[in-house]
This record gives sequence, structure tokens and C-alpha cells, in this order.
Amino acid sequence: MPVFRWGNPLEALPDLEREMDRWLKSVEVAFEGLRLGRPFPALNVFVVEDAYLITAELPGCEVSNLDIEVADGALTLRGNRSPQKDVPADRFRRSERMSGDWERSVTLPERIDEQGIQAELTNGLLRVRFPKLPATAPRQIKLNESPSSPV
Amino acid sequence: MTTEPRIPDDTQQRSNEPAPERWVRTPPIDIFETEQGLVLRADLPGVPADGLELQVQDNRLTLLGRVASPVPDNAELIHAEYHSGDFFRSFILSDDVDHERISAKLTNGVLEVLLPRIPRSLPRRISIQTQ
Repeated sequence: MPVFRWGNPLEALPDLEREMDRWLKSVEVAFEGLRLGRPFPALNVFVVEDAYLITAELPGCEVSNLDIEVADGALTLRGNRSPQKDVPADRFRRSERMSGDWERSVTLPERIDEQGIQAELTNGLLRVRFPKLPATAPRQIKLNESPSSPV
Repeated sequence: MTTEPRIPDDTQQRSNEPAPERWVRTPPIDIFETEQGLVLRADLPGVPADGLELQVQDNRLTLLGRVASPVPDNAELIHAEYHSGDFFRSFILSDDVDHERISAKLTNGVLEVLLPRIPRSLPRRISIQTQ
């Protein structure tokens, strides 16, 4: 039975390193869970007669920590979820709910009335309504006869 | 000596109650300890207060959240990233949860259930009578 070990006195380091790696990985999973994998929030898009509807599940989200922006034909949703900030980490028995900053951008269909967009947040469910632009009558485009085509 | 309260066992059973054509989901939860007992939080987006059923029977805490559809019935789904549907999950409570004092609130689609511990009885001195 060896009483003491020969060899590199620092051989405990790889163990420590491995331990750190494992720990970092778990942190990464906790933090990046929102960003990697599926985009957050998941969106459903519906169409009704006169509008498009987008719904997203944002439990715990308040109007004050949600940003909705429309620019250049894209809708951007931005927010922060930190539902557990009031609880020290060592108190948790189980932690499945996600937290962190999130942002998501989607391209809007072309023919919508950007001025008429409405959003409401009810019981943690976001619904954004994009009115369609009224269909316009087909317009004839007059062809100009060019005097002479270059040869 | 203190004994650790048992983690409520999560059986994740599917309910038979909702109509079969409705999609039933298991909501994500957090459980943490406080001085008074345990706190359970569950994400139930889209569940209004009157759509939530919380039941304690024997040692089982059952939660069922019914989601009201946010879109009119004639809306056509053209792009889907999640299944909308009701939430169901059940838990086995440990013996030291005081069933009578369980309370719950629903805020912005997050359910918070307080599961207070039964207060430990103080040591009682027993007087001995001499005859």
C-alpha cells in the first residue's frame, strides 16, 4: 500500500481542471439555454381576414420589461426574465424555468399597416396584431414609347 | 437535529380530465426553500385566474391550467413554433407540509404556491408526580 504518491506533485491539477470544466459547462447551459437551442420566445403566427397575429409565451413578463420595436420591416421583441433574482441559488431544489436577457427579430410581411400594429400582454401571453393593408386596385402602367432604341 | 424536508416527488402524470383533443403540457417549475417552507413557481402563460385548478388530495398536489385561446377560432395557423395547450403537473407533498396553510397566487402567467412547513412542536416538559 503506497503511503505517499511519487510523481508530479501537481497531478491533482488535471482533476481540478476537469472539475472546473464541468462546472463551467453547467453554468453555460444555465446561461445559454435561452440563446442556444431554440430561439426564445417561440412564436406562432396566425392569419385572419384583415390581419396577421403573432403570439408568444412570456410567463412572468411585465409590460415594463418588454420592448417591442418595428423598424425596416422587422419586428424586434426584447426583454429580460429574471424571475428568481430574489432567491439565493443554494436555496433551489429544482430549477427548470429559464431566465436571462432575450431578443428576437422577425421579418414582417410586406403588406401590413405599420401604424396600426397593436400589442397586448395578458397573463404572460403576448399577442401582436398587424393589420393588413387594404388591397389596392390594379393600376395600369403606361408604357412610354422610346423614340429610338440604340443600335 | 433537523430533518430535511423531502423534495416533492414529481410524477408528471398526464391528466385524464381534459378532452383528448386538447394538447396537455408539463409546465417548467422551480422549487426553493425559505424559512417557512417551500415555494413552488410554475410557468403557466396564458392561464387566467379562473382557468386554474389547484387541488390537494391526500398527499398529492395537482395543478391544471386551462389556456384560453388568444386568437379567434377562424384564425389560420401559418407558422408554428410551439404547441398551445393546457398545463398539467402533479406533485407528491412531503409529510411536513402543512396542507391547511397552502396558498397560491397567479401573476402574469406565473403560479406561486407556498407550501409552509408544519411548525415543529416545542419541547414540552412532562411533570412527574411523586406519590
